Amino acid sequence: MPWSKFDSNYEAPAQQTQGGRTLTYCQALREAIDQAMCLDPRVFAIGLDADDKFGVFGSMADLTHKDRVLGTPISENAMTGVALGAALSGLRPIHVHLRNDFLLVAMDQIANYVAKWQDMFDHQVKVPLVIRSIIGRGWGCGAQHSQSLHGLFAQIPGLQVVMPSTPYDAKGLFLAAVADDSPVLFLEHRWLYKNTGHVPEAMYTLPLGKAAFLRHGNALTIAATSLAAMHALKACEQHELDVDLLDLRTVKPLDVEAITASVARTGRLLVIDYDFPFGGLAAEICAAVSERAFDSLRQPPQRLCFPDRGMPASGPLERAYYPTPERIASKVRSMIFGATVGDGSLVS
Amino acid sequence: MEPIGTICRDDGLWMLARMRLIRQTSERIARLYPTNVMETPVHLCIGQEAVPVGLCRHLRDDDKLFLGHRTHGPALAKGLPLQKLMAELYGRTTGCSHAFGGSMHLIDLEHGLPGSSAIVGGSIALGVGAGLASRLMQSDFVGVSYFGDAATNAGVFYESLNFAKLRALPVVFLCEDNGYSNVMPKSAHSAHDIVSVARQFMPTLQADGTDVLSVYAAAGEAVRTARSGEGPVFVHCRTKRWMKHQGHEACDIQDNGIDRVRDCPIKKLEQFLTRSGLATAAELAAIAPQIELQIDAAIRFAEASPFPDPALLEV
Repeated sequence: MPWSKFDSNYEAPAQQTQGGRTLTYCQALREAIDQAMCLDPRVFAIGLDADDKFGVFGSMADLTHKDRVLGTPISENAMTGVALGAALSGLRPIHVHLRNDFLLVAMDQIANYVAKWQDMFDHQVKVPLVIRSIIGRGWGCGAQHSQSLHGLFAQIPGLQVVMPSTPYDAKGLFLAAVADDSPVLFLEHRWLYKNTGHVPEAMYTLPLGKAAFLRHGNALTIAATSLAAMHALKACEQHELDVDLLDLRTVKPLDVEAITASVARTGRLLVIDYDFPFGGLAAEICAAVSERAFDSLRQPPQRLCFPDRGMPASGPLERAYYPTPERIASKVRSMIFGATVGDGSLVS
Repeated sequence: MEPIGTICRDDGLWMLARMRLIRQTSERIARLYPTNVMETPVHLCIGQEAVPVGLCRHLRDDDKLFLGHRTHGPALAKGLPLQKLMAELYGRTTGCSHAFGGSMHLIDLEHGLPGSSAIVGGSIALGVGAGLASRLMQSDFVGVSYFGDAATNAGVFYESLNFAKLRALPVVFLCEDNGYSNVMPKSAHSAHDIVSVARQFMPTLQADGTDVLSVYAAAGEAVRTARSGEGPVFVHCRTKRWMKHQGHEACDIQDNGIDRVRDCPIKKLEQFLTRSGLATAAELAAIAPQIELQIDAAIRFAEASPFPDPALLEV
């Protein structure tokens, strides 16, 4: 089965693995959803295949309150409006999508309605709506089942965009998203679902807009999210790279302060963004750091993104298309050692 | 159509006053609009007053009404205070949307108006969401999706009817069919018959949208059915748009079939009230001047209210 083939598991950061209970990313999400629904009867889940036996890749399997899990027809646009209408009427919906790509069918509702509703009415209304969506890739899924569109959504005012990379973050950020009174787009990478890490059993939230250090170093700053952050961690550990690695956790709000503070120490910035390059998160971070900490930069900030074209299907093309820990390590080394001279200026 | 004589005096006077409020407010807006005191696109409801008023006579404050771009009539009918509408049109902080919405984005949470949208079609789904919330909260408020004939060409229309029926949600779909999508006649924009399509999904009712008694009867049955848990109902009201799609000018589409005497919902109700003995001509004559005073006061309120501080935009 294609969905049983995943990239190798990654250990969660050291500070999150010490002691306690270990859960997978998927189990952490499931626990967060179940606890949210048990805590608050206004929380309900809705979505295409939300109530089928697969339980959204297991993330909603055997929930305590099955009566509040509603399957829908393939009507993503209207169902987003239904979720919004329910949120405006006193509920706290979790609208789930099996693929990030399907959100584009609902773009009118997401961009014109959900994102704008509070601004249009000067925040007189709450819009406590979480849109969960899973990012896929691999096994020849091609251009319409492999996208990660966080850059596109983050560009729209009124949407918070959250991308957890560890089980601990998945639970804490999800509960923060459900607790929030404004819309949150919660993007989960399918390749992280089997990763394990320490997850407290009690409910807890992590702040939206606060990055976390996965590793401390001095020669270069990496900013990344989700699977890219885990790939960067693997690259740094395997190749012993002297990198300050920031897991952004949320794309929007973006923790620009943490990035610029790190760049002020390292003088180098590499943004690893598993999304299209043009006008995306990586471009935004490079611009933000250039505006705020230009004098700290010893060389131009760099990006490592997907190619600016749709995802191919065939195995060799897929493997060439997507960045890997090895390519990340190579990029880091070229920035630190290979491509610079003593005064820090770029020569290649 | 059979004359419908089931209303009481209070219903009649309430509906006449609301229709007059919408008519006279719209006429005042049309007069002032060329002076640019209202910097916002207006979609006036003159000639269409019977539809929102006949509906809203049956709605409670906790029933949720979701609108498209032609907002003023249904919003006033639902209970939006006139001062808050005028201040919003004038771009003042005292407007219902605090000057962030404009004509097409009106809100009044106290009166079950959780916001309106300018993208044709999409708000149909929001009314269904309100119906879903009512069901999940085990409440008895209804969601109302209020839209025009052109919105039935959007996919979200079918998606919304389908889901509402599948879940038997307490939703009233009200189609205010004025026969035009901007300037395009229905014959050019819809290959389908709207009621026939809706009937594939749920019970449908039809009303003369220039006759508030007809709308009142149909909407009443629809709201009662939805509220009682029997599932969604579709109400089709054929009406006439006397104005251009947008702005202060009269409709200039040739052969539009509009007769401002024959088709006037206000004249029709006034005739009914006097002929049936529910009210005297003198009583009815006193309404219009009172509303003019209300409009004067609302405009004074708007003019005296402050514009928002641009510093509000600083993030």
